[in-house]
Amino acid sequence: MVPAMLSAEEWRILATSLGVAGRAVVFSLPVAIAFAYALSRPRFPGKSVIDAMAHLPLVLPPVLVGFLLLLAFGRRGPIGSWLESTFGVQLAFTAEGAALATAVMAFPLMVRAIRLSFEATDRGLFEAAAVLRAGPWDRFMSLALPLAWPGVLAGAVTAFAAGMGEFGAVITFASNVPGETQTIPLAIYSALQTPNGEALALRLAAISMTAAVAGLVAAELLQRWARRRLEA
Amino acid sequence: MSLEVRQAAVKRGAFALAAEFDAPETGITVVFGPSGAGKSMLLSTLAGLHRLESGRITLNGRVLEDAAAKERVSPHLRGVGLVFQDARLFPHLTVRGNLRYAERRRPAHRAAPVVDEIAVQLDIVGLLDRAVRNLSGGEKSRVALARALVSAPELLLLDEPFAALDGKRRRAFLAMLRDISTKSKLPMMVVTHQIEDAAELADHVIALKDGAVVAHGPASAAMRRQEFTGLLDHRDIGARIEASAIPGGPLAAGVWVKADNVLIAAEAPRGLSARNVWEGHIASIFREPDGSALVSLATQVGYISSRITPEALADLRLEEGGKAWAVVKTHSI
Repeated sequence: MVPAMLSAEEWRILATSLGVAGRAVVFSLPVAIAFAYALSRPRFPGKSVIDAMAHLPLVLPPVLVGFLLLLAFGRRGPIGSWLESTFGVQLAFTAEGAALATAVMAFPLMVRAIRLSFEATDRGLFEAAAVLRAGPWDRFMSLALPLAWPGVLAGAVTAFAAGMGEFGAVITFASNVPGETQTIPLAIYSALQTPNGEALALRLAAISMTAAVAGLVAAELLQRWARRRLEA
Repeated sequence: MSLEVRQAAVKRGAFALAAEFDAPETGITVVFGPSGAGKSMLLSTLAGLHRLESGRITLNGRVLEDAAAKERVSPHLRGVGLVFQDARLFPHLTVRGNLRYAERRRPAHRAAPVVDEIAVQLDIVGLLDRAVRNLSGGEKSRVALARALVSAPELLLLDEPFAALDGKRRRAFLAMLRDISTKSKLPMMVVTHQIEDAAELADHVIALKDGAVVAHGPASAAMRRQEFTGLLDHRDIGARIEASAIPGGPLAAGVWVKADNVLIAAEAPRGLSARNVWEGHIASIFREPDGSALVSLATQVGYISSRITPEALADLRLEEGGKAWAVVKTHSI
């Protein structure tokens, strides 16, 4: 029923999705690592605030997240207008905007996977590094990151797979522009609005499903590898 | 004195440690005491892993921590090495990677033991390219010690890194520590709860009980004190003999001769297989609650204790001040 070859339109939709999810992950990864590392540390002032901030997108309606982004990063929003006047960058209704909305929605997933990996590291190793003259930043770079990086990768892959499917926040903040912000779920939505669009919707659904399953399998394999690595 | 600990107090949950002592700038200082006495905590505190509630620690004139002045040098800037009981090798690096980790962070001005030399000395050359997860307990201990030596600390703390070893391998590890201490002049503090290990390693002793220092000083004197022997099990009661006093004795600081392994003779023994027979005067006779007698003999190699039955005590007509001979089987040295 589903011919193996993709049409030019389908390729374009897939490419938009990959581009949006890819950029979302690449740019939010350092921030997610910083949040995850902070949250894996013992108690410190403000920890619960950071924890709540990192998890907020998980409980807010995606449309609301898109709307909040529009308020802040829209052309008349405080950050959006500053970005446009200073750098000439516009986020709302662009592929970059779609990536930003996707990044915000996938952020909690990424932080969670990376944090688990940091927490699984034996704290005693950091004491051992400290008495070998490694300072705090040195310990982070030479121990915490290398030991946690399969988990970091797993978090990135999960976020990427989830990012491919983000709908509400993207359509609200970045709209549904074919070739620019029309990712797979947005294209499925459009196809279903079009007469006789079910066939295209079904083919896009299959592509989406394949990508999501591949992402989950990859993340699981990485997690297993991570656990094996940490057994001294 | 290289290490000075003054009125140091540390708290962890319900446990409190209070310590005051000096440790010399060469040789091995043994931290001795029963489990739960606070030995590991003392080492962690010196390394800066626990914060002082009060008191002061100085190393070679440099203040490491002074609670009153709110001064505190971070662990990575103290120059104090620590070998943990569980080795704590970095699992993402090979054995060589672990040693290089220490080498890269060693200050340029510290005399540099080369990785290859230390590998030869500790017999880990064949392990250098192995992953640390594939090492045995004894191999992990040696690599952890090698890593600490490569880092060239001013003071090396060892938290019973030989706990997992037994018999021959344990003796070999202890002998290696003695050898390194003699050759490198690196002051070491070694935790142990085994009296034989303590006697073998110690030039200097710090005895701990329930978080307090009950005796400290040169091993020859401190290990004779009642506060020290009071920490021992009934079966471990005995006396320390300088290893150098024993012809053909082991390469160790001392030997612990348990009272149960010593015979007492009222006359000079003849035709015995034991090589170690020492003449002396009976310094004291102590009757134990079960009736047996602990006879302490002052000999040319120091005090030697022997535990004998009440019958033997009566038969031999031993009295304080009288002459007697102590016979020690060679294998118990």
